[in-house]
Amino acid sequence: MTSLRSMLYHGSRLLLGALFCYAGLVKALDVVAFAGSVANYQLLPYQLNFLVAGLLPYVELAAGLLLLAGLQVRPAVLLVAGMNGVFIVALFSVILRGLDIDCGCFRPGGEGHTSAQLALLRDAGIMLLALVTWFCADRRNG
Amino acid sequence: MSKEFNKRKLWRDLQQALLIALLAAAVGLAVNSQLLWRVLSGRTLNAVPATVDGPAETTLPLPVELAEVRELQGSTTLFIDARSRTAFAEGHLPAARSLPRGEEVAGVGALQAEVPLSTPLIVYCSGYDCNDSFVLAEGLIAAGYRQVRIFEGGFPEWRDAGLPVEGAQP
Repeated sequence: MTSLRSMLYHGSRLLLGALFCYAGLVKALDVVAFAGSVANYQLLPYQLNFLVAGLLPYVELAAGLLLLAGLQVRPAVLLVAGMNGVFIVALFSVILRGLDIDCGCFRPGGEGHTSAQLALLRDAGIMLLALVTWFCADRRNG
Repeated sequence: MSKEFNKRKLWRDLQQALLIALLAAAVGLAVNSQLLWRVLSGRTLNAVPATVDGPAETTLPLPVELAEVRELQGSTTLFIDARSRTAFAEGHLPAARSLPRGEEVAGVGALQAEVPLSTPLIVYCSGYDCNDSFVLAEGLIAAGYRQVRIFEGGFPEWRDAGLPVEGAQP
């Protein structure tokens, strides 16, 4: 692995890991507020919003920690990309339905307001990071 | 052969990703078991003791099921109808009070003047596709009400269960 590829791999892996650790942690610390953020999307029955809010942060946290530790990197990237794909579909549906909600991506129930458009842009960046990490990890192992 | 090897590797990665997700979800389930059990079973009655003064335990209304809504009819719980005044006039839960979404600023103020903040409230609207009860319930919690819950099935579930309805019915 060339040094540039190695830098790319470690840079994207650590950034992705830190992002998902942070996102998972803030949501896990306030499950009820996050359930409110999920409910704002109006995609699930009300009770299921709590189930998603109770479980999803721990999956994000697990994927983030594995990426930071450099363990099971490819499965962790698959998880991150899968979750990100679901977020992207949900955000598209928000735009199509004309809802004006906070994406709830990092600060559930917080004062800030991140529009669906901005969140989509950020998710595209996360997907790019996941792709870079995946291909660099592939070359590294292959 | 290399293609076959990559396919196998991808399949193995997918299996491992699924396993990690399941393990992490199990941790989340264990950590949040009490809250999730209360929410999913609809047994949220004692989530916030009625005698407690002070701020609400949560900033989000918890859901309540039809069976519990039935039991609470005739109790101190006040039912709030978040639908339009026309829909309310056509039929509503017994003893419910109309507080349509869109009139919540004046409506919540009037409610505060008459109804103590310790009164348990159940908000409903037109069923599972309706978000008005959720938004209104959040407003009621922000106004200081400590026991606000949502009857997600709303008026349609109540009516379709053959339970008594007040107001003009077709």
